[in-house]
Amino acid sequence: MVSSTDTDQFEYYLSSLDELGEILIEADKIESVASGILRLTLGTIMASSGAIFIFHKESTSVSELCSIGIKNYSKPIKLSDSFLVNIKVYKYGHLDYDKQPDWIDSDFKEYLLSSKIKTIIPLFHKDTLLGILCVGEKFMSEVFTNIDYKILEIISNHLTKSLFNYELIKNVEQKKQELNIKLLELETLFDIGVAISSVLDIDELAHDVLLRAVGILNASKGMFVLQNEKSPISDILSKFNWGEEKFLLSKNIDVFKQMQNGNRGLILTDSHKTDLQIKLKEKNLIVVPLRAKQHFLGYMILCDKETRSGVENFNNLDLDMLTSLSNQAAVAMDNAKLFKEITEAKQFNESILGSIATGVITINSIGEVDSINKAGENILKAEKQNILGNHYMYIFEKNNEIIEIITKTENDKKICSEINIPFLTSSEDTIINISVAPRIDMNNNTEGVVIAIEDISDINKVKNTFKRYVSKQVVDNLLDDDTNLKLGGEDRDVTILFTDIRGFTSMAEKMTPEKVVLTLNEYFSEMIDIVFKYNGTLDKIIGDELMVVFGAPISSDDDTERALKTAIEMQKKIADLNKVRGKRKEPPILVGAGINKGQVVSGNIGSRDMMDYTVVGDTVNLGSRLCSAASAGEIIVSGMVKKYTEQLFSFKELKPIRVKGKKDKIDVYQVRY
Amino acid sequence: MSDFSIDVREEGDVVIIATDGYLNNVGGEKIAKTCYEKIETGKIHFLLNLEKSTVVNSIGVSIIIEIIEKLQDHNGKLGYFNLAPIVEKTFSIMGLTKYSTIYASEGEAIAEMS
Repeated sequence: MVSSTDTDQFEYYLSSLDELGEILIEADKIESVASGILRLTLGTIMASSGAIFIFHKESTSVSELCSIGIKNYSKPIKLSDSFLVNIKVYKYGHLDYDKQPDWIDSDFKEYLLSSKIKTIIPLFHKDTLLGILCVGEKFMSEVFTNIDYKILEIISNHLTKSLFNYELIKNVEQKKQELNIKLLELETLFDIGVAISSVLDIDELAHDVLLRAVGILNASKGMFVLQNEKSPISDILSKFNWGEEKFLLSKNIDVFKQMQNGNRGLILTDSHKTDLQIKLKEKNLIVVPLRAKQHFLGYMILCDKETRSGVENFNNLDLDMLTSLSNQAAVAMDNAKLFKEITEAKQFNESILGSIATGVITINSIGEVDSINKAGENILKAEKQNILGNHYMYIFEKNNEIIEIITKTENDKKICSEINIPFLTSSEDTIINISVAPRIDMNNNTEGVVIAIEDISDINKVKNTFKRYVSKQVVDNLLDDDTNLKLGGEDRDVTILFTDIRGFTSMAEKMTPEKVVLTLNEYFSEMIDIVFKYNGTLDKIIGDELMVVFGAPISSDDDTERALKTAIEMQKKIADLNKVRGKRKEPPILVGAGINKGQVVSGNIGSRDMMDYTVVGDTVNLGSRLCSAASAGEIIVSGMVKKYTEQLFSFKELKPIRVKGKKDKIDVYQVRY
Repeated sequence: MSDFSIDVREEGDVVIIATDGYLNNVGGEKIAKTCYEKIETGKIHFLLNLEKSTVVNSIGVSIIIEIIEKLQDHNGKLGYFNLAPIVEKTFSIMGLTKYSTIYASEGEAIAEMS
C-alpha cells in the first residue's frame, strides 16, 4: 500500500480527474474512451481488475466494451426484466456484489463470480440504463473507502456522459444514414423525372428504371414486364440479376389479373402461394402495375429485399416507393411511345411532302419560314438553309401579290388562292398557282400559314402549244394523264370531220379582201368554238375548209358521236349566222360537211423547222371526198360512221358515190337533223 | 441468379479489385473478404474497378463503409475508378466520398495512392 499524506492523496485524485478530462477530450471512439476511463478508475482507486459493459436497449443485453485484468468476454449477456427493475435502486450509487442479490441473472452472475467482481456501478442517464461498470478487488484485498466510492461515482458520471454522447452520435449517424437513403430515393425519383424528358427509347428507359428500383429498394433482382396487346404472353422488356432463365408469363397469372383490376401493388411473402411466385420460383416479391392515365402497360417485379443478415419481406414503404417509380416510368414510356408515333407521323408527312411536285412552305406565327419541302426549294430556286428562318416578306419581296395573299390569309383566317401569277421571286418566266391556308392549333388559334405553290410554267407551255389545236378540256386531260399522249406516230382509229364553204371563191370575188377576212374570221370563230365544245382536235384550216379530228391525240368511245354532234351544231349555227348576215344584207354562207371513220397514222409530221400534229391516210382522204360530195347544209357520212352511230342519229341512205382512188362505189348517208 | 465475381491483382502497394455484377450483400461481402485477407498480409491500399458493377444497393454501400473503417484502423486507403454515374451519385449521397476517393483512371489512382 502506498503511504501518503491527505494532501498527497488529494493531489493524486486531482491529477486523476485532470487525466480524465484529457481522456474525454482526446479519445475519438467510445472504445478508447471507455478503455481510458477504466484504466484511470482502476488506477485511482487501486483496483486490480474491471470491465465496462454497454447496454443494448433493443435486445436488453449488455456487451463488453473493454476490460482490464479480466479475460475478454465477447458474448452479449441477456438481462432479465427483474434485473432491469432492481438495478434502478442503485442508480446514483453502487452495488456491493458480495451481497449477491438473487435478482441478478445467472449468466451475469456467473461472469461476476468468475471475474471476481466486487462492485457494480450501473450507468444511468436519467432513467435510461446505458451501461455497467464492474470493478474487481482492491489492491492487496483492502476495502474500498468512502473516498474511493466518491471517486468511482464522479468518474462513472463522466463515463455515463460519454456513453450517452456515444448513443447520441450513434443515433445521429443512423438518422443521417436513413436521411441519405431518403435523399437517394428522392434523387432517384428526380433522375427518373429527368429521364422522362430525355430518354425516348422505351427499352433503355425500362432498363434504367429497373436498375434504379433494384438498387434503391435493396432488391436482389428485378424484372420489367410489358403487356403485349397481340399475345396472351407478356413480354419481359428488361430483367436484372435473374440469369439466363426464360420465363413464360401469361396474362392470366392471378397476380397480374389483380393488377389489371385496379390493385395498386402487392407484397408477396412466404405466406402467399401465388402462381407468380411459383412461376418465378421466388418467395419474396413486390409487384406493381405500370399504369399511365387509363393505359395499362405492364408490371415491375422485384425479388428478395436484402439486409446484412439475409432477406426480409418488402414493406409498405417499399411499395410506395416502387409505385412512385412505376408511375413515373409508365408516364415516361407513354411519352416515349407518343414520341415514336409522332416521329413516324412526321417522317410519313415529310416523305409525302418530299415526293409531291407542289412546293409547300410553312410560315410560323411571327412570319418566319419554319419548313419547306424539296419541291418548294426547286420552285424558289434556293436551298433550305437559305430559306428557313427568313420572314416571308423577305422571301417574296419581289412578289407583292403573294405577300398580299399571305397577309389576307393571316387576317381573314381563310384559305386564299390565286392562279396563273408570275413568280418573280424565281424568274419572270415562272408561272405559279398559289394557295395559302391558315395553320390552326388545337385551340383554334392561328399559328402562321401554309403556302402551297404549284409551278405551272411547263403546263402553260404545253397549253400554249396545244390550245391552237384542241380544246382546253383535251389539254387538261392530256396534262392530267400523259400516258394518253402519244405524239411519236402511231396507227389509231379516228373520226374525221371536214367542212367546206360552198361557192366561197365566187362569193369572195364580190367582196373586198378585208370583208373576206372578216367573213372567214366570223365563220371560223363560231365553228372552232363548236369544235372545242365537243373536244375535237382542229387539225388544219385550208382556205375555207376545216379539218377536225376526233380520237387523236386522245381517243374515247364517243369520238364518232361527238363528230356528228359537232357537224349538226355547226350547220345550225351557220343557219343562225345566215339570218344575221341576211339582216346585214350579206350573202349566206353555205357549208357542206363530210364525216368518215377509220384507221389513220397520227403524229408530229413535218420538218424540224415546222412540225404539226396531224393525221394522214385513206380515211382522211375519204372524209374530204364526202365533204366535197355534200351540198350546202348537208352532212354526208360513210357507212362506218353510220354503223357506229345509227342508234343515236337518223340517216338517209344516198346513192353510192365513186371517189378518186377507189375502185368500187362507196355507200354514203345523209344525217337528218 | 447472376454471379458476382472479382478479379484481384496488385500494382506495387495497391491491391486492385475489379468487380463484375450487382454490388449488394453478396458482392459487398466478397469484396470485404478479399480486402480483409489482404490486410492480414499487410496490404492497406485498395482500389476498386467498378466498371462492370453498374448497380449498387445500400447494403453494398454499408459493407464498403465497413471496409473503409477497417482500413482507417490500419492507416490504409480505399479508392475507386470506372464508376457509372448512378453509382458515383449513390456513393456521394451515402457519404463514401468523404472517406474514400473516386479517381478518373487507374493510372491516376495508382499515382495518388502509392
